[in-house]
Amino acid sequence: MAKRRLIALCAFVMIPWVLAEPPNVQPEVIAHSSVPVKQLTPAQLRSIFMMRQVKWPDGLPIRVYVLPSNTSIHMVFVEQKLQLFPYQLDRVWQKLTYSGTGTPPIEVADLATMIELVQSTPGAIGYAEMKELPSALQIIQIKP
Amino acid sequence: MRCRLFKLSHSLLFAGLMLSHAANAEDWQWHGFISQGLMQSERSNFVNDTGKLSTELTEVGINTSYQLASDWRFAGQLMYLDGGNRYKDGWRVDYLFLNRTLVNDLDWQLDLYLGRFKNVHWLYSSTRDVPVTRPMIVLPQTVYFDAFRDIAVGSDGALLKSTNNTRFGEIEVNWSYGSTPVTKEMAQRVVATSVQGATEQDFVHQFSVYFRPQASQSQWGISLLDSDFNYKKAAVDYWFDGDFTVQRVMANWRYSAQWWELSSEIMQERVVVHGFYAPVFDRTVFAQGVFVLGSIELTPDTKLYLSHDYYVGNKDDRRGSLLPIQSGGMIKSYFGFQNDTGIGLSQNLAEKLQIKLEYHYSDGTGRLGPNVVPDLAVNQSRYHDLWAVQLLYWF
Repeated sequence: MAKRRLIALCAFVMIPWVLAEPPNVQPEVIAHSSVPVKQLTPAQLRSIFMMRQVKWPDGLPIRVYVLPSNTSIHMVFVEQKLQLFPYQLDRVWQKLTYSGTGTPPIEVADLATMIELVQSTPGAIGYAEMKELPSALQIIQIKP
Repeated sequence: MRCRLFKLSHSLLFAGLMLSHAANAEDWQWHGFISQGLMQSERSNFVNDTGKLSTELTEVGINTSYQLASDWRFAGQLMYLDGGNRYKDGWRVDYLFLNRTLVNDLDWQLDLYLGRFKNVHWLYSSTRDVPVTRPMIVLPQTVYFDAFRDIAVGSDGALLKSTNNTRFGEIEVNWSYGSTPVTKEMAQRVVATSVQGATEQDFVHQFSVYFRPQASQSQWGISLLDSDFNYKKAAVDYWFDGDFTVQRVMANWRYSAQWWELSSEIMQERVVVHGFYAPVFDRTVFAQGVFVLGSIELTPDTKLYLSHDYYVGNKDDRRGSLLPIQSGGMIKSYFGFQNDTGIGLSQNLAEKLQIKLEYHYSDGTGRLGPNVVPDLAVNQSRYHDLWAVQLLYWF
């Protein structure tokens, strides 16, 4: 009886793993054309999206734009590019917000808004799946 | 020093407010949270003295920050707490500081905070009373002893925070020096309900290092604390003038997987008492404790939490056997330790709206306040439990 209960508990706990399916999106790191950096390491990109790095090397303030945490492109971006899980990043932002040691990024509702804001805001950085690149945008390469 | 720094940060807050009309809206940030819960612990004084169901589980916070200039900002938080016997109910300023960014390049960030700042040295200390950031309603009392909350939550002084990206991983170093004003009511919760004199924290000096290895989801940390307190007896007082030294050495660890997470903190605390109990009295005791806290994401909106917390007040008397002997039989041995096992569930009801449910079972009363002279009248049972439910909203 105890063995059956243990198996049932394990099966219940395994549900998220079984149901999880990786979304088929490939986000790129996009930035306003004024951003003086062309490539970043994953650690540097993490510093920016963890809101610790707040200005570019030339002094231009960094404006970070993100999509809601439950969107598939955000989840893929965080796991692939930042090498974190979304809940870890949420916790970092909440810790910054409620301890006063930093400010969270600007959350936008959808990809179109993200692209529009990044291309119109000097110093802006975000992510998107890009088929064509508007002239006011650049893709930041992430060093392996 | 702390008064001057706190007044300075107040002045800068008002200067910032006056400048705000010309500010970019993105330079102002407003956030907050509100939560209300129910809590009951029938055979202990953790929540109240009667053991009855209590609504004394209210937490409200509003915080703001303003970017004064490219390298200068200020931040503050006003907090309302009602936690029954756990801490004083009412409003308090949890932090109010001026932040100067000293270095901000792609691989090194160094920040100085002056004023009243949160304790950033322990795993959950900087957001211990923010319901959404706290894994469980009641955190492991070994480290996050609620009776000590208002003293441990932050300090008036200076904090330096550095983060480096290296080829081996990320290294975070924190250093702080300051003190916290101790009111009589705070002392009565921590020391003894009968204290009438004045308690003062002379200083608290803290240092911590965190290491997050490259390409790993683990984090390792060490934190050190050194603090002195003094007690001046009142004209009519049962206790005597005294000095207390508290020194903590802690190590912590966290591993994060996609659907689950495990964290742990282990500590040793040296407490030295001169006087207080008698004009000529000296005692040094080493307390020890460790907790393990795990979470499993059952669905994207549901998390299950499990914790175990082990505390001994005297490492050379782990079962508290000396307490009855030293107190003439008044203090039972179970005041010398506390083993707590907790289980909790959080459920997101909507965006930024969550409910938490929790149950704890404890053997021993070593982490029920007051800590120096325990509450013998209420805590007459070696075993006690606690359940709580809390609804929270944040923005």
